[in-house]
Parts: sequence; structure tokens; C-alpha cells
Amino acid sequence: MFVHIERGSSVPISRQIAEQLRSQCLSGTLIAGDKLPSVRELAQQLAVNVNTVFRIYERLAAEGLIELRHGDGTYVCPKSLKVDAQLETQRDKFGLEFDALIQQGVMLGFTANELRTRLTSALATARNSQK
Amino acid sequence: MSDLAVSVRNLRKAFGSQVVLEDVSLEVPGGQTLALLGRNGAGKTTMIRTLLGLLPADSGTMRVAGCDPATESLELRRRVGYLAEDQSMYDWMTALELCRFLEPFYPQWDAKLADQYLERFELPRHVRIERLSKGQVVKLGLAVALAHAPQVAILDDPALGLDPVARKEFNRDLVEHLQAEGRTVIYSSHLLDEVEAVADTVAILDRGRIVRQGPPETLREEVQRIVLSKDVVRQRPAPQGLLDVRKHGESYEIVVDGAPRFIGELNAAGHSLQSTGMTLDDIFEAFVIGRPQAWREA
Repeated sequence: MFVHIERGSSVPISRQIAEQLRSQCLSGTLIAGDKLPSVRELAQQLAVNVNTVFRIYERLAAEGLIELRHGDGTYVCPKSLKVDAQLETQRDKFGLEFDALIQQGVMLGFTANELRTRLTSALATARNSQK
Repeated sequence: MSDLAVSVRNLRKAFGSQVVLEDVSLEVPGGQTLALLGRNGAGKTTMIRTLLGLLPADSGTMRVAGCDPATESLELRRRVGYLAEDQSMYDWMTALELCRFLEPFYPQWDAKLADQYLERFELPRHVRIERLSKGQVVKLGLAVALAHAPQVAILDDPALGLDPVARKEFNRDLVEHLQAEGRTVIYSSHLLDEVEAVADTVAILDRGRIVRQGPPETLREEVQRIVLSKDVVRQRPAPQGLLDVRKHGESYEIVVDGAPRFIGELNAAGHSLQSTGMTLDDIFEAFVIGRPQAWREA
């Protein structure tokens, strides 16, 4: 398993690790049934706090990506359980893109009110097309 | 028994008229790692030496590994491993000689464990300490600090002067031999980006006071850089937790601790803003050299 950490980045280390593991599970780099390194092993490998790694594993397990089998180890879950996590990833990604878009709008000189008006009309269009 | 391995309340320490520590309080739960951050002269070493009972406190209460440093410093030394900032002691000894020299001072000294650490840290046994590299000296310091299997390890700027590779190796040793063994760790540093990966909590010490304490991730969420127009800065009172204000042409770049709330307030008031996350080094800088008073001067 390959995880690369960029120190001194504005993205917290725990998020860097979680995102890389998540995308490796989703893209199939890690496949169902693969055994992940133990919390301790990964912490040592990455030189990252043991508690941080544990929290990342717990979070990924809650998303249904991996399974912590007590006394045995940590395994990658089959794909069917990954829907929640996929949704989570896409939502995260959407959040980032949305922020970037707004930032761009601000730089182009749109005022907060203009942006709000745009959002309202875009929402109305989206709702109409759903009907 | 409390779950706190270390607790400090309202600690004060002055040398003559110079106050070095003022109203310092902190708690470290058992098994966690606290990084004490501060510039040179912020009071880190005084803090550590007071915790160990090497310096008497003027006032305040402390418990370290269940002991009061003021009255039980001998027992405390059995339960705590200490790596001092100055690692140049006993230059003429070899690693093995140092271990043999230190053994009689510690009833719980485990010669086999000491030997294992020398092995694991790949330290030469028969080379004089003065001929070891800086990284090796730190590892040797760590080996002898851990040879009596202490519950708590207190390390004074262990990464000082290490090159990036040795620093990373040191972090790995810390994770492997301290955290994974369930030990409580307090260590000082002035490299925030370096401690992020390793610390459960960071405490920023500035001019003798702890100005902020929390998990690195919480700091990153709470402390953000926000770009505002001049009008907003002129219209509004300075927000709580304002750390720094810089002027860039017609806009102001500010750093706020408690950013999510302030951003919420600005949004509610219909002001436009840009906010960005910061690296921990930038956050540290904002706390220790930020100029919040520039808000009023706007």
C-alpha cells in the first residue's frame, strides 16, 4: 500500500491519508479482501501518530470501505458496501469545486448578492428539471 | 486514579524580576503526545525542567506520572524518562560505557532493554559519543531515557539540529517506541509542520504563557486566513480571536482563531470574503508575531 504525505501542506495530514486510502479502495487499487497494515504498522511506516491512524481506520470503516475484524486485522470490504463512501467522496469533491467556483466568482468581481441571486436561480432551475 | 499522566495548573516561575512562566495550565491524558511549541526563549525548557522537579515553581500545582515534582522528585525520576536539550554530556564515553554508568542510578534500569534499544537504533557500542553523528546522539539519549521503561517521556527539543532525514527517523522512533508502547510523551519543538503528524495535542507557548492548546486538526479548522474589503474592516469591531491583520492595497488579510463563527457572522451580514486554510507554521506565526491591533488602525 502506498501513501504519500506532504508535510507543511494546508491539507491536514489525517485528511491526506484518509483521502488516499479512500480513493485506493474506490478505484480498485486495493481490492476486496486485501489485508491492510495494522494501525501500528501504518503509523510506523508513515511516522504518523498511532491515534491519528486509528481514527482514520475507524472513519473508513464507518463509511463501509474497510472492516476492522477484532483480533484479526483490517480488510478491504467488497464493493457493494462502498456506496456510502462513494457518496461521501463525491460530496467532498463537490464541496471543494463549489468553493473554488465561488472564489473565482469573487475574483471576477461578483458581489455576494449577485452570487446569491445566481445560486437561487440555479437552484430553481435544478428543482424544475427534477420534476 | 486519574487518567491524566500530566497535569499542570496555574504554574508560575520567575527568575528574579523576570517572569518566565505565567499561569500555565495543561493536561496530558495517559498515552497521548503533547508537543510544546514556542520560539527560543518562550519558556519551553524552563517548563520542562519545572515539570521534572529540577527547578522549583513559584506557585501552581503539578502532577507528573502520579508524583508531585516539588516533593517526590526522586520517585518521579523513576517513572519519567528525560532527554535534555544539551546532548553533549560524557563525550569521552562509548554508548556501552554510558549505559553502564547510568544503570546504578535507576533501580528499574533494564540492561537488556537498553541493549535492545542500542540494537534497534543501530548505534555503535564501542565508539566514543563525541564521534557519533548528531542523529545518533539523539537516539542514544532516547535509548538511555527509555531504559528504565518510564510511563512518561519528556524530551526537550529532540529534533534540534537534526537534518530532515534524521528528523523523520526520529519521528518514526517516537511513534514506534513511545506511542505504540502506550507511553505519554511531552516534547518541545519549534517546528510545527514537523510535529503535526506525531502530536495528539499542541500547546503554543509564547512569552511564558500558553496562548493556544488543541489537536492540530482543530487548530486548522479554527484558525483561518480571511480576505476582507477595507469597508468591512472599518465598519465592524475586531472579531474575537483576531490574531493578525495585514493590508494589501484596498483589501485586508486577517487571521482569526474562531474563523468558522466569524465567517458565519460575515455571511449573515452579507459581506463578501475569501477564506483559506493555513499551514501549521503559518498558524504558529500568527499566534506569536501577529499584529491584531492593525484592525483599529484601518
